[in-house]
Amino acid sequence: MQLPRKTLIAAAMAALCATAVAAPAAAQPTKRPNIVVIVGDDLGYADLGAYGSEIRTPNLDALAREGLRFTSFYTHASCSPTRATLLSGVDTHLSGLGNMDEWTAPNQRGAVGYEGYLNDRVATLPQLLRDAGYHTYMVGKWHLGKAPSQIPAARGFERDFSLLDGAGSYWDMTNFTAASPKSVFTEDGRYLTELPDDYYATKTYTDKLIGFIDANRADGKPFFAYVAHQAPHDPYHLPRDWRNRHVGEYDRGWDAVRQERLKKQIELGITPAGTQLAERMWFVPDPIVLAPAARALAGKKMELYAGMVENMDHHVGRLIEHLKKIGEYENTIFIVFGDNGAEGTDLFKMIAGSPGSRDYLFASVNWSQTHPNAWGDPGSYVGYGPMWAQVSMTPFAQYKGWLAEGGIRNALVVSGPAVKRPAGSINHAVLSVADVMPTLLEVAGASYPQTVNGHPAPPLAGKSWGPLLANKVDSLRTTQDVLAWELFGNRALRQGDWKLRWQFKPYGKSDWELFNVATDPAERKDLAAEQPDKLRAMLALWDNYAKINNVILPSRSTFETLEDALPPRVPDDPGYPPLIYKRQFVPPKDLLADPKP
Amino acid sequence: MKTLTCLRALAPALLCLSALTAPPALAQVPARFYWKSLADGNAVPLIFNSISGNTNPFDPAHIVSPGANFDGSLAIAGYARTFELFDRAAMAAILLPMGRVSGDVTVAGKTASQSASGFGDPMVEFNLNLIGPKAQKTIPDALRYEPGFSLDLLADLALPVGEYDSDQPLNVGQNRWYGRLGAPVVWQLGPWVPGRRTTLELLPAVWLFGDNNDYLGRTLQTDPLFQLDVHLTRDFTERLWGAIDLAWYNGGKASIDGVAGEKLNNIGLGFTLGYQVDSNLNLTFGYKSTINDNAPGDLKMDGFMLTLVYGWHPIIEGSRRLKSE
Repeated sequence: MQLPRKTLIAAAMAALCATAVAAPAAAQPTKRPNIVVIVGDDLGYADLGAYGSEIRTPNLDALAREGLRFTSFYTHASCSPTRATLLSGVDTHLSGLGNMDEWTAPNQRGAVGYEGYLNDRVATLPQLLRDAGYHTYMVGKWHLGKAPSQIPAARGFERDFSLLDGAGSYWDMTNFTAASPKSVFTEDGRYLTELPDDYYATKTYTDKLIGFIDANRADGKPFFAYVAHQAPHDPYHLPRDWRNRHVGEYDRGWDAVRQERLKKQIELGITPAGTQLAERMWFVPDPIVLAPAARALAGKKMELYAGMVENMDHHVGRLIEHLKKIGEYENTIFIVFGDNGAEGTDLFKMIAGSPGSRDYLFASVNWSQTHPNAWGDPGSYVGYGPMWAQVSMTPFAQYKGWLAEGGIRNALVVSGPAVKRPAGSINHAVLSVADVMPTLLEVAGASYPQTVNGHPAPPLAGKSWGPLLANKVDSLRTTQDVLAWELFGNRALRQGDWKLRWQFKPYGKSDWELFNVATDPAERKDLAAEQPDKLRAMLALWDNYAKINNVILPSRSTFETLEDALPPRVPDDPGYPPLIYKRQFVPPKDLLADPKP
Repeated sequence: MKTLTCLRALAPALLCLSALTAPPALAQVPARFYWKSLADGNAVPLIFNSISGNTNPFDPAHIVSPGANFDGSLAIAGYARTFELFDRAAMAAILLPMGRVSGDVTVAGKTASQSASGFGDPMVEFNLNLIGPKAQKTIPDALRYEPGFSLDLLADLALPVGEYDSDQPLNVGQNRWYGRLGAPVVWQLGPWVPGRRTTLELLPAVWLFGDNNDYLGRTLQTDPLFQLDVHLTRDFTERLWGAIDLAWYNGGKASIDGVAGEKLNNIGLGFTLGYQVDSNLNLTFGYKSTINDNAPGDLKMDGFMLTLVYGWHPIIEGSRRLKSE
């Protein structure tokens, strides 16, 4: 196979870099670095130890210690759009995920860019890397289409073991609804009729990937591995050994844990001193007014979530250990992030239907292990709710599905030979998941095509991190550069320190809001009224973005009736009302007396 | 928040207060009687036995009267309270047996038809967990409780104040001090989820007897009696469970004025079905029979047992009132 010229140049550059780092190997021809992209599904910004969490993630923290942490990395607000952007580098309204497949609006049906799967007008990262001489592997969640022409094997992965659905049981093929009762898996392009013995998603994905790597090692080609873990997405299915690692630890409540994480983030340098926490969601109670049992039950859900993250970290550790054992670790770039904000919506409530419906019957049979001691077992469905999702997204507002920072800002760890900044550095540059494609094409020496399947290739939306990782610049974007989002009808745009946001009531105002996210990352203070000129300028940028990127605002949205379903939004003034906070009055001892006869 | 739901889920655990009941009849208690529950809970157990055999069901010594045939109706009422002691689960109870028994009795070669009725010897019981999870002092403790391997120290003491007629050998009171030391074991096999719980439960115990110095004007002495109850239990649904029960008795040789009888070495086999009626009330029904009882001197006994345990806890009751249940 003849390698493209840029590939050869990149290989030569990689060889030079490696020479400087590893002198004893100087005489050996050095191959281009392996690439491992690890995506935690619904993993929160603040869920890794390296980002201030009490959740124990030693293996991911080690990558952070050896590499770089980024604090202003943006994904999309939900999984398919993020994955589409990751694997195509193109805006979601062009790549087929202008909306989630499950929520495509009537006016979006049939429109190019809204197919609900990664369309054939985009080139994919694995295709381009494969063409550049990389082995390409995928394990885990795909959620970018199920038809034979849409599955991982058709989109550039040589080997795969993939869950095509957005979620499902971690133990078997059970999915969520009567209409779609079975999860669909592929392995190397074939649809599986059953799962391997001893299947547990996170473990099996890791086992498979290690097998793929070993099977092709002999030819000496580098590999690109997309490790799209299902964890820690709900339902929190977890081996028993991993369920009781934080017993009682979260009974103190979400506010306390959020404050502890913020304090730790400030100590670590992740978050600037003086940062204020985002408002607690107005419909979430202050945990200190809850009875111990209520706190214990809610806390146990967070215990499970922590276990999910720790179990995922454990299996990442297995992969790292294997790469070290076979001598590939030092030549592997790791990129780790969560695909969107943590999940605060009760997904099970949405899919389980109401009594009398077919989905309710399905849930009764397949998802009714509701006893707390069954949480984690097959047939149980636990999600941790908005209160803990806010903890996962400390210090930001809101969570998955929304365009507040809590929905789209995530932790990002990059390590490996591409990183030339001091180990353990923290960088605050504004980055996007769209940057991954150009970055890795540059690493591999691959080029982005002019056309795809006879159509002009849509423009890459991101920028390569090359100069940033190489310590040549501290920021990739100027104050004029723009990042923008639209999903479910919610809209946002960031330019410099400013963020424009439109969200459905009551999470937003169903109107435009303006925030300075440099000074107000929690998006507490809407400056739209105070900064009309800035608002106008940002609106113009939004209009331009929408026009260029084929944004079709949905005629229907999952959030369209939310205002009717939630309590009226009120401020979260601490200590209000005093009625429920005032403690027992204790009179002075010297004024105590028994009643007179 | 689903606090009320969780409280409701806890209520069945309170029914384990039935742990307090140690009926002398058949020297056994149903399976799951030594499960732990929330501290400061209360329970009233009612146990009904209908027993036939060649031994007085009111006498845990099970002195065999070869060729005799007794029929007894026995009830035990009691009250128990769970509490925490040194951070361990503990339970104290008082049990009052009552009922009637009749049959042919042979003493010193003389056979007579007799009957007795009235209140038997009240018994106090104390149980303290030694190995296993700490006491369930709060509802969160109860929510997190799983027995794993749980071992207790059990002590019973019967007070000799029950109905006793020294002119006949058949009585409901025993006219002597007696008691039991035991070590109940609950071994969780698999998940601790209602509907899926499986346990292996053991109760090795030793019954110790004082002398009855007025047994038809003679002295009745009984050697210690070793008892081992084994139960393999399994949930069928969240409310219905069943158990296979095995009991082994060994020792307990009785002497009347120094004339020794035979020691026991008998095995009983049976089953139990349990049903949780609601969050307060639990029922069990069981049958058990000795199986190696062909020889005249063997212990021969069979009986039906029906237990009804009403348990409550102030927190759960209060929560239910608020919920207007």
